[in-house]
Amino acid sequence: MKKYLYVIKTQIIKSMTYEFNVYGNIIMQTIIMITSAYFWRALYKGQGMVGDVDAESMLTYVVLSSVLSVLLITNVERRIEKSVEKGTVATDLMKPINLFGVYFAEDIGAVIALVFQNMLPILIIGSLMIRVPVMADVHDLPLFLISVIESFLINWLIAALFGMIAFTAVNIDALIQVKKHLLRLLSGSIIPVWFFPAGVARVLESLPFVYIYQLPLSIYIGRGTRAEHLRQMGIQSIWLVILAAAFLIAQKKAAGKVMVQGG
Amino acid sequence: MIDVKNLSKDYVLKRKEPGLRGAIKGLFRPDHRIVPAVRDISFHIDPGEIVGFIGPNGAGKSTTIKMMSGILTPTGGSVLIAGRDITKHRKEVVRNIGVVFGQRSQLNWDLRLGESFELLKHIYQIRQEDYDRTLDEMDRILGIGEIIDKPVRQMSLGQRVKGDLVASMIHSPNVLFLDEPTIGLDVSAKYALRKFIKEINRVRKTTVILTTHDLGDIQELCERIIIINHGQIVEDGNLSQIVDRIAPYKTLVVEYYDEFAPEHDRCEMTEHKGNVARYRFMKKDLTAAEVIADLSKKKTIKDISIEEAGIDDIIKIAYES
Repeated sequence: MKKYLYVIKTQIIKSMTYEFNVYGNIIMQTIIMITSAYFWRALYKGQGMVGDVDAESMLTYVVLSSVLSVLLITNVERRIEKSVEKGTVATDLMKPINLFGVYFAEDIGAVIALVFQNMLPILIIGSLMIRVPVMADVHDLPLFLISVIESFLINWLIAALFGMIAFTAVNIDALIQVKKHLLRLLSGSIIPVWFFPAGVARVLESLPFVYIYQLPLSIYIGRGTRAEHLRQMGIQSIWLVILAAAFLIAQKKAAGKVMVQGG
Repeated sequence: MIDVKNLSKDYVLKRKEPGLRGAIKGLFRPDHRIVPAVRDISFHIDPGEIVGFIGPNGAGKSTTIKMMSGILTPTGGSVLIAGRDITKHRKEVVRNIGVVFGQRSQLNWDLRLGESFELLKHIYQIRQEDYDRTLDEMDRILGIGEIIDKPVRQMSLGQRVKGDLVASMIHSPNVLFLDEPTIGLDVSAKYALRKFIKEINRVRKTTVILTTHDLGDIQELCERIIIINHGQIVEDGNLSQIVDRIAPYKTLVVEYYDEFAPEHDRCEMTEHKGNVARYRFMKKDLTAAEVIADLSKKKTIKDISIEEAGIDDIIKIAYES
């Protein structure tokens, strides 16, 4: 366990060396927040509630979605791609430490660094320019935090499973982009799926993606009853277990593949 | 220390036909071809040996070293390190092995060198006093004190290779594999690297297996060489014995005052250009002194020098076979 903590610490140090990179994301998130805010304000003009949500809650949703997006930045796909390309994965596999454990610890470390470098600035910008994102009911806080942790894990597992494609395909740059944008669309991070046609929404609710963004955000803005939230968190947990199982199986196969090819 | 038995490795190559049609055909019906890289090789290495693997590019040296260090799974045969099979007991065996690949680094690009070492210390769970002792020793041999606080991305190749060597020794392995460690290094960096290998072999009795194209590495470091060509062992044994067997001759270069050069009945004149003639003689039949004495009876000699058959002759002969 101590080794992984040290990997986290090392990653924090590493993340601090690329200070310049993080400004790009702040600017991008600011643009997304502001355009989304204009969009929702225009849509809500003269309307009290749309899809059980009022305009103010929707703006909270926008700001918090950007804040949450920082926690959901993963590097594991790129990390696998790079180490396969450079061939360092072969020597990495020689060390007495689980390779994916290292990747996970690295992503945790990166996120910790980003909380200060990225999340706080975005929260401040969003609060000043759009709305201070106040939670609808503070009693939901524990539920919200648990669902965020689960959404972090689901998001990471999807990324890791995705990254394993690099073990055979080597270059997955384009795929990473497609996955990133598809995930933003399907997870309700920009437009909640309750605005989609009922049939589409139902399909999306049976997929894991909405449990990455939309579920924690719904809990935060207080859309739906607690019973509904608990039911959805049940589905979230089921997806977490399924993805974890798929990951564990794929991980074994992937390591064997690298061993045979030798990078 | 190391037992290699009937080791072999086949690579599956996808052959692609040229042009767009070939590319499309390759998508649906890839043409697989099996290429043997290493064929049925066996040898034994004792603790504390320094063994040089030599052979032309693509001969199977790196593939062999990768299988020995557990990076590649062999198609057939086995590798035992300290009595344990590397494919079966990988986790334990790997703790006993250090690896340096000259062309790729295991150091972390964005970290200072010392931070990379600290990370390895935690990964291998090395006690602080052991870690300090190792670093002190490495600093004494390689002088890494001045680069320990430097980020790896700012290092020269020579410094980076030094860093990689130290990184491979942090967990004090008994066996060290070096795949073309001196590639691209300048003279002083090469010298430092050779000194390092000699020192850890002398002080720690580390077994060292290295592949190289540098004849200086072999001459200075290896008592034993294994020559590999076309995936098979061509020669395996003591360096000077192999030299004596494959090239048991010396060449005497004689300069006269004019263009006439006398023959010697037990030497072969291999070259005669201007005032200079080259005489090749077998070491077991003649000494250089006898040849000089015989020749100087026939003609006045201006200058002489003796050329030993070197490791390069051996390699040329072995590679061409």
